[in-house]
Amino acid sequence: MYVLGVESSCDETSVAVVKDGREVLSNVVLSQIDIHQAYGGVVPEIASREHVKGVSMVFDQAIRQAGLRYEDIGLVAVTNGPGLIGSLLIGVNAAKVVAMNYGIPLLGVHHIAGHIYANNLERPIEFPCLALVVSGGHTELDLMNGHFDFVKLGETQDDAVGEAYDKVGRVLELPYPGGPVVDKLSALGKDVYHFPRPMVDSPDYNFSFSGLKSHVINLHHNMTQRNETIVKEDFCRSFQDAVTDVLCQKTKRAAKEYGVKQVIVAGGVAANRGLRAKMAQTITDVPVYFPAMRYCTDNAAMIAAAGYFKYMKTGVADDLYLNGDSRLALN
Amino acid sequence: MTKSSKTLFVDTATKSVFLALVVDGVLSDQVCREGVNNHSVTILPLLDDLLKRQNLTLKDLTDIVVGIGPGSYTGVRIGVSIAKMIGYLNGIPIRTVSSLALLASSALSGTVVPFIDARRENAFMACFEIQDGVMVRKFDDVLANVEAFKARLSQPYRIVAAGTPDVLKILRSDLLTPVPDIHALVPNYLQVTEAEHNKQAAA
Repeated sequence: MYVLGVESSCDETSVAVVKDGREVLSNVVLSQIDIHQAYGGVVPEIASREHVKGVSMVFDQAIRQAGLRYEDIGLVAVTNGPGLIGSLLIGVNAAKVVAMNYGIPLLGVHHIAGHIYANNLERPIEFPCLALVVSGGHTELDLMNGHFDFVKLGETQDDAVGEAYDKVGRVLELPYPGGPVVDKLSALGKDVYHFPRPMVDSPDYNFSFSGLKSHVINLHHNMTQRNETIVKEDFCRSFQDAVTDVLCQKTKRAAKEYGVKQVIVAGGVAANRGLRAKMAQTITDVPVYFPAMRYCTDNAAMIAAAGYFKYMKTGVADDLYLNGDSRLALN
Repeated sequence: MTKSSKTLFVDTATKSVFLALVVDGVLSDQVCREGVNNHSVTILPLLDDLLKRQNLTLKDLTDIVVGIGPGSYTGVRIGVSIAKMIGYLNGIPIRTVSSLALLASSALSGTVVPFIDARRENAFMACFEIQDGVMVRKFDDVLANVEAFKARLSQPYRIVAAGTPDVLKILRSDLLTPVPDIHALVPNYLQVTEAEHNKQAAA
């Protein structure tokens, strides 16, 4: 079955065609990153405006690159949350028009489910499976006992990991988005500041990054006041080591407690090389998989893949009343 | 036999979702439903119902007229996105019309000031003259302080803040603009975003 995936939850307009939840025939991503860069972060109203501007063109490129006609599509899967509501609504309504125009079943897909299923584009997910989802908007550990069976074990109580990365990047005056730059500079620095590892020993699977972020910002501020030399590489490395220690330790403990067959990491921060390396060192008894770099950030191929497995499991489609929900729950 | 024309009207820039179908110059069906921030939920079911009543599908449409604002940002984006997608998928032309003109067209005659509240004593407004079913623009669409705008009007006028558009009046007017490239179509917001405004002010 050919699934048309649609994603517009933040600042990427993306449409993809994926066969049977595995084979990507096209994955067109219109990124707005250059536009938001000037503001140091995503401006929701600008994001919505850009989605309207690009939406039909992205659909056209995706169907052409796939070498198909809309009549060949068996399911339209669209991100219906969570995300920026104004952004979500563009993709949802565009997807509804395609479904209505060609009489194709329509299915709303959770954005996080999409990130998790990005892994399925590389190799089939084996259950039980533990998924660590880390992005600019999310940080959570989910247990999966089968396709589209998510049990949330824990999540961040404040900032998402990617958010903390971007804020630290901003304090260090690194270009937006800060995450990838912090990761790059980390490789050249040392953990000289030994920042706290928040909640690393808490018995639950929750996270907290706001305190750590403030700690980094305060130290930077104090050192600047005292005219001390700031070695950005060391700041980045110290911050990244603290973050990745917490993520890896908690993931390792959850993987053991639930006896999973594999660990998958998903979301934009899954592209972080420091996290990839440490996770592989920390968890050695079961395989740890990361999506290909191009499927870590927001894209519609992952939504198409997730939509396929959701539809195969439930067989139930949504109707034209489908709406975007900025706070949609995964389960 | 010449193919009959089936024109779909779409506007979502006001509190109401507005859809109308004009077949060969005759208004065959329309719906104007007030909603509470839920145009995104209702518009396609309403369109589906309307087309089914007329035994038509989206593929039968020959052209689209879409209200491109100004008005609610989130609202107008829904109508414009839908129009773009229907136009693109079926290869049919789109014409745009001011959402304020659509609103004003609901009045029978006289000097008409369409009004869409924009908070903080501001509103999206314009001015049209309607006589014998003919509608002519007097003032451009603006986002302005309500009292300041009113002070510019010298003759008696009527404010129209709600009403069902008269699409035949619109079709007879010169207020429609053909869209040369559907993919490039964007709403008329009438102002830059706050972030852009602040950035420009700082520069």
